[in-house]
Amino acid sequence: MMTRFGARFYDFYTYPVNATLMAAVGKRYGFSGINVIGRDPKEKIICPEDFSIYRGVEIRAKPSRIREEIRKYRGSDHILIVNGGEEDINRAAVETEGLDILIHPLEFNNVLAKAASDNSVSIGFNLGLLIRLRGEARVRELKTMWINLKHARKYKLQLMLTCSAQSIYDLRAPREMVAISSLFGMTEKEAVDAMSETPLNILRRKSPDYIQEGIEIL
Amino acid sequence: MKTISTLREKKRYLAFEIMSEKTISRQELVREILNSIISIYGDSGASQINPSLMSFDGKYGILRCEREKRVETRAGLACIHNIHGIDVSIIVLGISGTIKGATEKFIQQTLVNKPEPERKNNCDQ
Repeated sequence: MMTRFGARFYDFYTYPVNATLMAAVGKRYGFSGINVIGRDPKEKIICPEDFSIYRGVEIRAKPSRIREEIRKYRGSDHILIVNGGEEDINRAAVETEGLDILIHPLEFNNVLAKAASDNSVSIGFNLGLLIRLRGEARVRELKTMWINLKHARKYKLQLMLTCSAQSIYDLRAPREMVAISSLFGMTEKEAVDAMSETPLNILRRKSPDYIQEGIEIL
Repeated sequence: MKTISTLREKKRYLAFEIMSEKTISRQELVREILNSIISIYGDSGASQINPSLMSFDGKYGILRCEREKRVETRAGLACIHNIHGIDVSIIVLGISGTIKGATEKFIQQTLVNKPEPERKNNCDQ
């Protein structure tokens, strides 16, 4: 029963102030890699053994500019992330091919879910919100997550869990993240897949051997 | 008086470690754990989980909970992020059926493996 936790876990949305320390703590918590956003690509990060650090880009732009920005980074090996919000941002994000993850979209609906499924965009759940908020604000975020999960299940979207950690104290171990995700009805299997299978899928898509869904150089 | 064994509550012991900038007192931690669990599951849920802190030395601790509510307790611990203005994160090292098992298996094991990070730091410098 416990064998599910033998997988390799990844957190694909971190904004570390001190990336070296974050990598060390991530390794201790049982992660196999983290995705670092908003750091200078030339900066040297000391990486622990058997641990990988990926570089990501978070796209923050007006809805009308999002498509253009995604196209700009599409060919690169950066992991593209959009932090969802109002409907027009989400729509622009999921309708453009090349985006990897859309995190915590508000007002998610069946049309957007269909588009996300067509463009193989994963839906991210920001557990950092559940950790940091209390009371009414947390209830609102949980409600959004229930709705997102419902749509994601219906259209078989890839799920993704993240803690959106800025400091090492925001990071949580995989088992804790599974426990938190049960608050909005995610099963253990879904949660484990969201931390291991989905990131590995994204990495596979980013590898140079990959051409198109179903076509790959072996 | 003791209850019969089939009616006795089944318990589990969670060995956990706190990461924080400053040390936290036992009293503050107990209050925060209960607050966090009540905030998520309400009074009724908290009474079913029945958490109680068995021991705590500033870094490692053991928390008792109901056997069927391990995941809920974990979630409650994971949602603690700030105690009296000090940023903290709690990691559960393991779950055991006895206090002795939790201490020997998880906490002492961690203490034995402890010197590793220091050595790594020396290498970097």
